Amino acid sequence: MLDIQVPDFLEPVVNTFRYAPLAIQVAMVFIIIASLGTLLAYYSILRSRYRGYQRDKKLAFLHPKIDNLIIEEVLTNPTLLKDDVPVAHVQLNLEPFQELPLHKKWAREVLTERIIHFRRNVRGNMGELLRNLYLQLELDKDTMKKMRSGHWEKKVQALVEFTSMDMSIADVTILPLTNSRNRELRAAARHAYIKLSKNEPFKFFDVVTEPLLMWDQVELFRIITTTQNIAIPNFARWITYSANKSVVSFCLKLVVHYNQLPAVPAIVKLLETKDHYLRADAINCLGKLRVPDAEDKLIVMYSSQPLHCQIEILKAVGRISSGRHVDFLKQEFLHSTDFDLRKNAAKSLVKNEWTAKQVLEELLATANAENLRILKHCMNPLIKY
Amino acid sequence: MSKILLVEDDEIMPKIVARILPPSEYELDHVSNGKEAFEKLEATNYDYDLIITDIMMPYANGFEILSRVKSPDREKTIPVIIVSNAGNEDMIMEGFKLGADDFLKKPIIPAELLIRVKRLLMKNK
Amino acid sequence: MSGILETLGRIYESTLFVYGMVLLLVYAMLALLSMLAVRRYAKRDNYHQLDILSSSPLAPGITILAPAFNEGLTIISNVRSLLTLNYPRFEIVLINDGSTDDTMQQLIEEFKMVTVDFAYNEKIRTQPVRKIYKSTDPAYSSLLVIDKINGKSKADATNAGINVASFNYFVCTDVDCILDKNTLLELIKPVMQEAHKRVIAVGATLRIANSCEFDEGVMTRMRPPKQLLPRFQEVEYIRSFVLGKMGWSYINCVPNVSGGLGLFDKEIAIRSGGYDHSSFGEDMELLTRMCRYAHDNHVNYSVRYIPKSLCWTEAPSTLKIFNRQRTRWARGLAQLMHAHFNMFLNPRYGKMGMIIFPFNFFFELLAPIIEFTGIIVYIVLAVMGKINWPYALLLLLFVYTYAIMITTISILWDQLTFRYYKTWKEVVYLCMTPFMEFLFYHPLIVIYALRGYYYFLTGKKSAWGNMQRQGFGKKK
Repeated sequence: MLDIQVPDFLEPVVNTFRYAPLAIQVAMVFIIIASLGTLLAYYSILRSRYRGYQRDKKLAFLHPKIDNLIIEEVLTNPTLLKDDVPVAHVQLNLEPFQELPLHKKWAREVLTERIIHFRRNVRGNMGELLRNLYLQLELDKDTMKKMRSGHWEKKVQALVEFTSMDMSIADVTILPLTNSRNRELRAAARHAYIKLSKNEPFKFFDVVTEPLLMWDQVELFRIITTTQNIAIPNFARWITYSANKSVVSFCLKLVVHYNQLPAVPAIVKLLETKDHYLRADAINCLGKLRVPDAEDKLIVMYSSQPLHCQIEILKAVGRISSGRHVDFLKQEFLHSTDFDLRKNAAKSLVKNEWTAKQVLEELLATANAENLRILKHCMNPLIKY
Repeated sequence: MSKILLVEDDEIMPKIVARILPPSEYELDHVSNGKEAFEKLEATNYDYDLIITDIMMPYANGFEILSRVKSPDREKTIPVIIVSNAGNEDMIMEGFKLGADDFLKKPIIPAELLIRVKRLLMKNK
Repeated sequence: MSGILETLGRIYESTLFVYGMVLLLVYAMLALLSMLAVRRYAKRDNYHQLDILSSSPLAPGITILAPAFNEGLTIISNVRSLLTLNYPRFEIVLINDGSTDDTMQQLIEEFKMVTVDFAYNEKIRTQPVRKIYKSTDPAYSSLLVIDKINGKSKADATNAGINVASFNYFVCTDVDCILDKNTLLELIKPVMQEAHKRVIAVGATLRIANSCEFDEGVMTRMRPPKQLLPRFQEVEYIRSFVLGKMGWSYINCVPNVSGGLGLFDKEIAIRSGGYDHSSFGEDMELLTRMCRYAHDNHVNYSVRYIPKSLCWTEAPSTLKIFNRQRTRWARGLAQLMHAHFNMFLNPRYGKMGMIIFPFNFFFELLAPIIEFTGIIVYIVLAVMGKINWPYALLLLLFVYTYAIMITTISILWDQLTFRYYKTWKEVVYLCMTPFMEFLFYHPLIVIYALRGYYYFLTGKKSAWGNMQRQGFGKKK
C-alpha cells in the first residue's frame, strides 16, 4: 500500500477502510461516489434552472420589443395599402431595429423565430413583407451557417427556417440529405425539397425505400397541400409502380384530397394486391372518390375478403350511394353473423336512403330487437359513428 | 363603427388582426379563450356585430361559442367567422353545421379577411 | 447445531449481498438508460410540431374513456376540460358506474343529454348498461355517456367504454385526473413514429395534483405538494416514471402503463379480453395480458413511455387512504405474479419473460419480504450482540446515500428537460424530500405491501370495492 499522508481526523476512517472486509470497502467507496454524484446533480439542477431563468428574462424583454417593431415597421407599412407596388422590392426601414441587440447571435435567433411565428398566422402581402425583413436584416446568413454545420440538429433547424421563409436552396444541397441516415434530418430535407424544389418536387417518392411513418405522412401532407404554385402530379404513377407500400398508401390519401379521378384505373388494379391492409386502403379511397363503376367489382370480391376489407366495402357502397346495391346491403344487414358488418351495412343503407326509403321502413317494421337497435342507431343524427 | 370580438389563444394573431381591420372603422375586443368570450358577451349583452374565433382553445372551444351565439333563443344573430389552422374537413363541417358564416384557414391573407368581414357586416345590416 | 446455523447464516448473508448488489446495479443501469431515453426524446421533440398533427386530416381517431363514480362535485368542469383537449378527431366516453349521487343528473342538464338507441355490442362482458346518452347540442357531439349498473371496479366500467369506442385507439384515464391540453397529441406521437413495430400502449408521467392550482379543470400553476405524504409520492412518481419507466422504455421492457393515463391499441386490448374486474391492479394486469397476447400471436409489439408530465392526480393525503391504496397495489402485484407465473423465465415470452417478469418478481414482489426478514435477522443478531456496529452503520449509510443519489438524478432528468415548477425554492423543497423518504416513507410502503400479500394469501374480501380513489379529498 502506498503511504499517503492523511490528516489526523481522517485517520480512523482510513484505518477502518484498510482492515475492513471487501463488502465494507466497496460500501465506503460508494458512499463517497454517491455523495459526490448527488452534489453534482444539485449543481446541474441549479445551473440549468438559472440558465432557463436567464433565457426567460431575455425573452420577456425582447418579445414585446420585436412585436412592436414588426407591427410598426412591417404590418403597418404604407406600401401594403397600395396595389401596384410589388412587395418584393419594398425596402423596409431598418433603422428602428438597431435598438435590438442584433449583434448577438441569440437575439437574431429569437427574431427569426418570431418572424416565423408571424408568418404562420398571416400570408399574402404581409407575409412577403415579413420575408423582406428576414432578408434585409441578413438573418438568412445565420441560417446558411447552420446549414453548413456538422450537427444534424442545426441542419434541421436551418431547413425549417428556409422552408418557413420560402427561400430557395439548390437541389444539390438538399437531395443528398433526403436519404440521410438520421430520421429527423431526412424528414426535414424531404419537406424542404417538396416545398422549395423548382424541378420535380416529388422525385424522392421514386427512391425512398424506408417506410414513410404515419408522422412523416402527416407532415408531408401538410406541406404538399399548403404549398402554393406546386405542380401536383398524377399520383397513379406511384400507386402502380412503387414497391414501397407506405408510399402507395400515402398516394391514395393524396388522390382523395385532390379528387384525382384519372387515378381510378390504377387504384382498381391495386385491389388485386396480396397485402390486405393496402387493399383496404384502396377500397376506402374508391369509396371516398365516389366511383360508381368500382362498386360492382367490390361486391363481386366481397365474399372472399377478410373482415376489415369487408367493412371497407360496405362503407364504400354507402359513400358512393348509387342506390344500385340496396339489396346487397339488405342481405348483409339481415344475414351477416358479425355485428360490425351488420352495423356498417345498416349505416350504408341509411346513406342510400334517397332510394332505399321503402326498404328501410320495411326493415324497421320487421327486424328483430337487435337489428332494430342497429337501424335506429344508424338513423339517429346525434350519433356520429 | 362596427364592434368585433376576436377569440384567439395565440398571442400574435390579435396584433395582426388589429392591423388588418383599421381602428377608425372597427372596434376590436380581444379575449383569449371561450370562458372569457362568454364573460365578455354576457357583460355586453351580446352587443357585437361580428365574432372572429379560433376552434381549439382552453375552457370552451369555438364550437361551444358558435352553439351559444347561434342558439335560437337569441333574438339578434351575430355572424361568426372561424379562423383556424384546422385542415380537417370534419372540423370545418362541424363549424358550418353549428352555423358558422365563414371559415378562414391560417395563415390568413389580410385582404381576404378584410373583404369577408366587410361582406358579412353588410349582409347583416 | 451451531455449525449448521452458522452456514445458514453465511448463505443468507451472501444471498442478501448479491441481491443488494444486483438491485443497485439495476438502478444504476436504469439511471443511465433513462438519461439516454429522455435526451433522445427531448432532442427530437423540438422538431415535431404538434400543431401540424392537431390540424391534420390524417390524425388517427382516439376515444377517451373516463369512468366516474359519485363525482358530482367536479364532474362538469372535468368533462369540460376533456372537451377542450387539443385534437382533431376524438370522442369522449364517460361511464357513470351506477353513481348514487347526482352525477348523471348534472350531466344531463349541463350538456343537454338525451337517451339514444345505441347499437351496443358487448365484446367484453360487463355489468348491464342501462342507457346511453348523447347531447342534443352539436357543440358537445363528441360526448357520449354510458349509464351502467355499478360493477364495483374501474375495470368493469372501462370495459363498457371499450365496447362503445369507435376508434382504433383509446386513452384510459380517471375522470378526476387533470390532463394537459396536448395529451392526445403527445400520446399518439410515439405510435405514429414507430416504423416496424406495432405500439400497443403508450404511457406518460403522472404527477400529484394536491398543491397545484386549477381553474375549471385547467391547471394554472404547478407546485410540489406542501404536505409531506403527498410530497413523498411526488418524488416517488418522478423516480418511477422519469427514471424507471423511461429507462425500461429504452429497451422496450415497460412493465406497466399506469391506470391514471395510458393509450392503448383497442384491437389488441379487446382480443386480450379487456380489463379484469377481479384484479386489484387492473392496469398492470391488462398490459401483461396484452403483451402475452402479442407474443402468442407473433405481433412485433412495443410499449412506449414519454417523459412529459401530462396527467395530474389527487394523491392520498392521509395514512388511512394511502394504506388502502398501497395494500391494494401490492395485492394486485401478488395476484398478477401468481396468475402469469408460467411466463417467469420462459424464453417464449422474450423480454417479457426473461427481463420484466423476473425483475418484477425479485425486486418488486420479493423486496418487501426480504427487507422485512432482513430487519428481523438484524434485531435478533443485535440482541445476541453479534453485530459489528461500525460496519453495519457503514452499510446503512451506503444504501442511504445511494438511494438519495438515484432519486436526485431522476429529479435532475426531469428538471433538465422540462424545468417544471416555477421557483427554485420549490425545487429545493423537493430535493430535500429524499433525505426523509428512507426513514419515514419507505418503511410504510414495506408494511402496506406485506399487508397486501397477506390479504392475497388469505383472500380477504375487499371492503373498498369501488374505485380506489373513493374517499380522496375532492378539489374545488
